[in-house]
Order: sequence, then C-alpha cells, then structure tokens
Amino acid sequence: MKALKAVGKYFSNALIITELELRKIRHDQTQIWVRMVQPALWLAIYGLTMSKLSGMSSFIPANLTYLQFMTPGVLAQSALFVAIFFGINVVWERDLGLLNKLLSTPASRSSIILGKALSAGVRGMFQAVAVIILALILKVHLIMTPLSIIGVFVIIVLVSMCFACLSMAIASLVKTRERMMGFGQVMTMPLFFASSAIYPIAIMPAWIKPLAYVNPLTYVVEAMRDLLATGNLHTLPLDFLVIAAATVLFLVLASLGLKKMVS
Amino acid sequence: MEEKAIVVQNLGKQYPHVKAVDNVSFTVDKGEIFGLLGPNGAGKTTTIRILLTLIQPTSGETLIYNINTAKNSEDVRRMCGYVPQDVSADGDLTAYENVLISAKLYGMPAKERKSRIQEVLNFLELTERAHDMVNTFSGGMMRRLEIAQALVNRPKVLFLDEPSIGLDPNARRIIWGLIKKLRDEYNTTIMMTTHDMGEADILCDRIGIMNRGHLATIGKPAELKSAVGGDIITINSSNPNCFQKVKELGFSTITNSPDGHCDLIVNNGETLIPQLLDGLKARGIQVESVSLKKPTLDDVFLKYTGARIEEGDTYAETRRSRRAFTRRTK
Ligand SMILES: Nc1ncnc2c1ncn2[C@@H]1O[C@H](COP(=O)(O)OP(=O)(O)OP(=O)(O)O)[C@@H](O)[C@H]1O
Ligand SMILES: [Mg+2]
Repeated sequence: MKALKAVGKYFSNALIITELELRKIRHDQTQIWVRMVQPALWLAIYGLTMSKLSGMSSFIPANLTYLQFMTPGVLAQSALFVAIFFGINVVWERDLGLLNKLLSTPASRSSIILGKALSAGVRGMFQAVAVIILALILKVHLIMTPLSIIGVFVIIVLVSMCFACLSMAIASLVKTRERMMGFGQVMTMPLFFASSAIYPIAIMPAWIKPLAYVNPLTYVVEAMRDLLATGNLHTLPLDFLVIAAATVLFLVLASLGLKKMVS
Repeated sequence: MEEKAIVVQNLGKQYPHVKAVDNVSFTVDKGEIFGLLGPNGAGKTTTIRILLTLIQPTSGETLIYNINTAKNSEDVRRMCGYVPQDVSADGDLTAYENVLISAKLYGMPAKERKSRIQEVLNFLELTERAHDMVNTFSGGMMRRLEIAQALVNRPKVLFLDEPSIGLDPNARRIIWGLIKKLRDEYNTTIMMTTHDMGEADILCDRIGIMNRGHLATIGKPAELKSAVGGDIITINSSNPNCFQKVKELGFSTITNSPDGHCDLIVNNGETLIPQLLDGLKARGIQVESVSLKKPTLDDVFLKYTGARIEEGDTYAETRRSRRAFTRRTK
C-alpha cells in the first residue's frame, strides 16, 4: 500500500513537471511552429526528389513507394533532431538556478527527469502531426487505422523521451550550453545515417550495418514503417522492447547525472 | 532536551580545492530567525544546500525537526521552503503559475490550492501582477515571488539565501518586514544568510559568523557586540582636567588628553550620558560636546576573524544583477 502510494506520487510529480514545461510552450508557441519546418522540407524536397531515382526502388522492401518508405523515417528523424538537444534546456535551467529550486522540492530526481522527458514527447507529437498531414497532402498512401495511429504516437513519445534522456545524461557530463550544442550535432548525424530512416539497411556499406542494429532509431523507424506502410506487425513487440529498454536506461543515467549537475 | 528546529553537528564539505565548510556545529530553535553572516566564499550557501539535501556533506550530521537530512531527504524537503541566492522564479511563466507549480510539487490538496495561492500572493503584495509574465518583473517583485513560492506549503523551516541581495533600500525594507511578520504570525523558523551587517543586526535573533568555512562565533547580536567591549562615549570639554573629574565620578577612561578630550568605555551608554553630564556640571566642568558610538557587528567580525568584511556594494551584489537572466557558467 505504501509502495503503491510512492509510485503514485512519483508519477504525479513527473506529470507536474510536464505541466510546467507545457505551460511554457503555451506561452511561447513559436518554437512549435518553427520546428515543423525542417521535417516538412525533408519530406517535400528530399523525399520527392529521391522518388525520381529508379534504382532505389529495387532495394525497398514490400513494394513500397519511396515516400511510403521514407515518411516513417522523417517522423523518427524529426523526433530525434529535437530531442537530442533537450539537454541544452536543462543546462540553461541549471545556469538560471531553476534546477536548484526544483531539486529542493519533494519531487525525486528521476521524477523530474521523467517529467521533462514526457514534455519532450509532447513536443514530438506536434511535429508528428505536421509530418503526417503533409504526407497525406502529398498523397502518400499510409495505413490510417486507430491502431496504427495510436501506435505511431506512442512510439513518437517514447523515442522523444529516449533521446531527451540521453541528451540530459550527456548534459550532466558536459555542463555547458556550447559544448552541449556541439555534442548534439555530433550525435544526430551518426544516429540518423546509421538507421534505416531514408534508405534500407540492405544498401548500407557492410561496416555500418552492425551499427544500424544497435541504433535505437532503427527500431523506431522499423516499428513505424510496419504500422504505417507494410502492415506487417511481426517484429513490433521486439521493436517496442528495444525502444522501451533504451528509454529506461537513459532515464536512469540522466537521473543519476542530475544530482551531479547542481553540486 | 527540547527538540530543535535545526541541528548541525561537525559538518564538513570538502571540494577538490577548498574546504567549503569546516567542522561547523550549531543549533536553531523553533521560531527563531538565525543568520549566517560572512563574506563571499564563507560557506553559507554550501551549509544551506547541505541542509536542503541538495549536496552531500563529506562529514558530520544535520537534523531538521529531528529528521536526519541524509537519510530521509524527501521528508526533509517536504517540511522546508527555500529561496535560493540566485534567481529561481521561472521567467517563462506567470507569477500565479510559478506558485501553482510549487503548490503542486509540495503535494497541496487541490481544494486548498487556489485559496492558499491567493493568500500568499496577497501576503507578498503580488495579487495585481499575478497573471503577468515573470520576465517583466523587477528584482524586488521577483524576490517576493520567490518567497511566495517558498511559503505556499507553509514550511516549518524557511531557508533564505541572501534575501535582499541586489535590491534597492525600499525593496529591502519590504522584505525585512515580511520576514519578521512571517515569524511573528506563523512562528516559522527562519535560517538566512547575509553579508550585510545591518541586515543581520535588524533581523536575526542569533547570528553565526562564518569565515572561510569556519564558524567563528555565535550569539545574539547584542551579546556579540558587548563582547567586543561596551559603548564608547567621547567627551569634549574646554576644561583640561576633565578626565580627572570623570575618574572621580567612578568611570575609567581609555584615552585622555590635557586638552579636555576623553573616551570612556561603558555599558548602556545612553542611560549613562545624562548622569555623567550632571556629575561633570556639578564639578564645574563645561562640556562642549558628547558623542556615543555603539559597537557594530563589523567590530565583532573584526574581532573574531581578524579581517574586515567588505562594505556597501560588495562584489557579490554587483556581480550579478538579479534581473539579468544569465549567469556565467562554471
Ligand atoms: N560546486 C563547487 N565546486 C567547487 N567549489 C565550490 C563549489 N561550490 C562552492 N565552492 C566553493 O566553496 C566555498 C564556499 O562557497 P559558498 O557558495 O558556500 O560561499 P557563500 O558563503 O555562500 O558565498 P557568497 O556570499 O559568495 O554567496 C567557495 O570557496 C566556493 O568557491
Ligand atoms: Mg552564497
């Protein structure tokens, strides 16, 4: 009973932190709109251009068009590119002294991290909506069942949380905004290119392939591709498991790091 | 033994290059306003942050209301309110939202919340600006908001880290009034830090003087001052044998010159002056002027640490404009 209460307290504290972050977004919505631009360009320019390359289609599984293949990739990418810089906010809050105050409340370290990660998840959802709407405007054929839509949003929230936690864990080590910016940039490209986001693993150079298989983003892309394009849900549980495990791992690391950050 | 609000025993905190807190022990009674006074780098903030479980001490033990802060950190944080030295109100939210989030994090039940938030905003005279964004606030309003956040859960112990730093004299007086009112009306135990002698003197029931991690001395402001010696009365007279007459009256002088000037150390200078003047007049001495100098905490600081605390607008105050939303990163 006592343990149950503690768990309830933990999640309710996390949700309060999420509320705090969402209230800030509500006061300044420009960032939400601005962040929709980049994924839109990937899909509309890169996607449409690459569709014209005939060579690619022979490597794409399950007779998908390139845009069908790529839309889940852009969804994953848009979540990654925003979440990986999330640690900068935390460094910023540390510098302002906000973190110090937050840590002096009864909320536990990891509930604070979880709350912040959840808010990254909510931001990710806004972008996902934009990407899906654009894809539909471009007449990309996507599977739009309640299950696939819910599944995709759950994954978007998870992947945003996953990389936001990774980013916060790194922030606790590097401790300055400038360095954090650099780390974010250094990490995005390898994570993005060593995944099946915009091309199939089959055509990658042999030495990258193993990297693609340990990259959580690959599992994110595959899960969403199965939900939105192929409809073949065999590997979905495995994908979920990998993403969830990575999220929990990074959550723990970030929580441990948070203590270091203010001392 | 009566339970203390705060117990600090042989506390030590070693950083790689400095011993920030070195074997510090003191207790604070319930309902007391206790001040840690010391220059920059004395270890005041470090002491407070250890009590609030934000950092781990390297040695020693701290208790708040008999709860060990290292072992039950969450319980301790639930009882306490904290106004950090640096800006800590969130500029991207309204004042109301800042207090609301604090109320929620301290687990205040939803039905009490609204009235309680209104009550603290009112107490801190922020009601009119409640729904304005905090990044439009002045330094004084920001400080009041931070205090409102710390008060919303009715803490048993309130920690104020340099509550009036960077504020103009008027805003400072408002904050002082609030601190007194808080103790008088709610019997909140308050532990504060300052490097302002005047502030410590006006507000605190007891003061601990800290320097380079050490607690040099501890006591009531009046006690500390009398330990430095009594009040100094300076008499100027045109009569050269003034000091002899003063001695005849039973006072000892510390300086005396044949030109009729003499200094004497006494207790309760104010009440002695009339008596002294009457006595001298009766002995035919014409006193031209008399002045009284009370010892200051500055003198106390000098005596116990062998150094003078910086005065007026110190580095710490100018280092950081509280309105500026940036801080140099380490
Ligand atoms: N995280 C840290 N790492 C290393 N040294 C630290 C750290 N925090 C504080 N110190 C050092 O510990 C000493 C005490 O610092 P503290 O902040 O407690 O002083 P203070 O009395 O609050 O001073 P101020 O009036 O400037 O606020 C200083 O020498 C400071 O440089
Ligand atoms: Mg300090």
